[in-house]
Amino acid sequence: MVTTSIGDLGQTLSMKRQNAALKLMMQEKGQELTTGRVADAGRALRGDFAPLAAIDTSLARLEGFRAATTEAATVAGVMQTVLTTMADLSADLASGLLTAAGSGLQQQVTALGQDARQRLETVLGALNTQFADKALFSGIETGVPPLPDAAAFLTTLEGVVAGALSAVDVETMLTTWFEDPAGYASVYQGGVPRSEMEIGPGERVSIQITALDPGIRDSLKGLAMAALLDRGVLQGQAAGRSDLARRAGMSLTDSASARTLLSAELGIAEARIDQAATRNGAETTALQIARTGLVAADPYEAATRLEQAETQLQALYSVTVRLSRLTLADYL
Amino acid sequence: MSISSALSAAVMGLSASSRAAELVAANVANASTEGYGRRELALQSRAISPGVQVIGVARYSNAVLVGDRRLAEAAAGEKDVRADFLRQLEQAIGTPEGDGSLGARIAAFDTALIEAASRPESEARLATVANAAQALTRSFADISDRIQTARTQTDRAIAREVDEINTALAQVRELNIQVQTYQGGRRDASALIDQRQVLIDKVARMIPVREVKRDGGQVALYTTGGAVLLEGRAATLGFVPAGTVAAQSTVANGGLSGLSLDGKPIQTMGASGPLAGGSLAAMFAVRDEMAVDAQTRLDAVARDIVERFETPGIDPTLPPGSAGLFTDAGLPFDATAETGLAARLQVNAAADPAMGGALWRLRDGLGAAAPGPVGQSSLLTALRDVLTEPRSPASGGFLPGNRSVSTLAGEMLSVVSSARVSAEGEASFSQARFVALQEMELSEGVDTDQELQSLLAIEQSYAANAKVIQSVDEMMKLILGL
Repeated sequence: MVTTSIGDLGQTLSMKRQNAALKLMMQEKGQELTTGRVADAGRALRGDFAPLAAIDTSLARLEGFRAATTEAATVAGVMQTVLTTMADLSADLASGLLTAAGSGLQQQVTALGQDARQRLETVLGALNTQFADKALFSGIETGVPPLPDAAAFLTTLEGVVAGALSAVDVETMLTTWFEDPAGYASVYQGGVPRSEMEIGPGERVSIQITALDPGIRDSLKGLAMAALLDRGVLQGQAAGRSDLARRAGMSLTDSASARTLLSAELGIAEARIDQAATRNGAETTALQIARTGLVAADPYEAATRLEQAETQLQALYSVTVRLSRLTLADYL
Repeated sequence: MSISSALSAAVMGLSASSRAAELVAANVANASTEGYGRRELALQSRAISPGVQVIGVARYSNAVLVGDRRLAEAAAGEKDVRADFLRQLEQAIGTPEGDGSLGARIAAFDTALIEAASRPESEARLATVANAAQALTRSFADISDRIQTARTQTDRAIAREVDEINTALAQVRELNIQVQTYQGGRRDASALIDQRQVLIDKVARMIPVREVKRDGGQVALYTTGGAVLLEGRAATLGFVPAGTVAAQSTVANGGLSGLSLDGKPIQTMGASGPLAGGSLAAMFAVRDEMAVDAQTRLDAVARDIVERFETPGIDPTLPPGSAGLFTDAGLPFDATAETGLAARLQVNAAADPAMGGALWRLRDGLGAAAPGPVGQSSLLTALRDVLTEPRSPASGGFLPGNRSVSTLAGEMLSVVSSARVSAEGEASFSQARFVALQEMELSEGVDTDQELQSLLAIEQSYAANAKVIQSVDEMMKLILGL
């Protein structure tokens, strides 16, 4: 006997299956709508995670570079402040020294000597500054200040110029000492210049300035020469002391261009760091947009599908209720 | 004579109606019983004298549909096992979406190196590098552990399935004998056949089988790959679970058990084995091929990392041939023991404060005797350079070409993820096919409405037969009253 009938189990199974499929869809779309991301990234990318992984790696790296550029910018900024302090103090003193030397007034020379000593203290103090436990002019030996303090420095220099008979002698002896590897270089306690710093993908900046740099060394020589006046060098030789003041003023004037060059060199590095930071920021934004494009769920699509699934589910419920009411047993 | 034969015909009609009502009751009661085949009474008119004869109970079952449904179910089971494993593996490696993923850990290590190089005097930043390196090794160990756990669980599941198959086959053989006995004695064997079908369905979920009818209501079972599971006597599958599966364990080196059929070893690898096509074969594929491949690729990525940091010249304080920042349990990389490297990956003890090392060795060199200049960043920069430098992986079956560690790890994930996506696609296709066939099979099952309709007809026929008896009775009385 061939009859057309639909078994109860078959009907139940098909209802169950449709119900489960719709609920799964609602759950998935609901998740996409609330998180804004596709529920299954692997399926959305067809299993190819290479672009997403590359973007995420770059983003993490840029995060690292953000810390590196901040660090580099701070270091360069603090160093630039120190160099500016040194340049300002040196320039003021140079003009004062030259005027005093021209006037030949001993009291003025002595007063300027004292002023020079204080300025040297300030400059050495600035060079020895530890910014966040980091001596910036010590090269890689950031743990130790690069130079002794002003008192010890001047005491060393007094020994160097001991026995000098004229201002020329003092200048020659100081020049020799500052250029001698066993002289100034030996009181320098820092290390070799720092290695290049990585501040962006494939981009490095080098801030290689140490206290040994000629711009700093020559400024210190001029300042020290004037400061030695305060330590009683060439005592009793009025003309010699005026001459020394003049020579110190000349030396400071001569080293002005070296200081400017140094500032300019650092300024270029600062500009590069700043550009790198901007570029990194722009790249981060661009990558985030690209990333969103890869795994973001379209909220309109998700909402539409959710709505659709809801309607279907409601329809399924009504159908289920009607079908289960429709049994012959109820009518017999 | 003819009146009494009319009476006996009506009595026969009554008894046939009762039998039919009994079957309707059984059908309705079993409307939701799995494996139940709808019963119908087979009737025949009597040749010699009028009346109806019950010749037996017909059990409706569409053998073609059942056979197709079984094959579809086996296929769906196979794809499901594969897709499940790949899903687990993908989760273990972690997609870039998750924080704990392998890719995220590599990126975190990279970031930590950049930050430390920008401020090498900071102990906190060196500690971040060390922690990121530790987290990376843990990530490798964790993935390796999850792969081997999956193998161990699969090994146990195989043992369980083999047991179930052996039990079911023995029971099918028992039922075969009983069915033959019942049918020989002209008794209704439908309930036994129902039971037998449920048992065969159970086997068919694990191994795709074909049922072949034999004399006396018996059946024989063959796998689609051609192995005999039941032909008079039941075959026995042999398997010994391994307990715990290590990365090095394989069937070839005796660490794992293969499968035997009646004591003879049978091939479980590939798509053409005698038992291929069901969940059992898929589990062997997971245990012996897919998980092994996954471990090989993971070890290859671990090897790539270990070898990068062993490159001579990166760390001038290390003598050539000594272990770099990442070690194989403290030792340099050994090409003869690559398997399982991911689980043994460690950060060099010299840079691990917990192992008596010191953080400053990350900055000054792993072989350095004393701390060097605190502002030295060249080693940290060199470490980062070697991490990101494009290199060709030495093993793991990756496509040739140079990549950084993070790209390589991303590629490993992509291999797994694309396999997962296509396996899920296949699984949902097989599942849909199976469900469609199951719905078709079940819609040929018991329909209570139809049964109730039959019941109405049976009631009518019963009433009619009773009416005949009543009429015959009146006729008899009439005759007797003459």
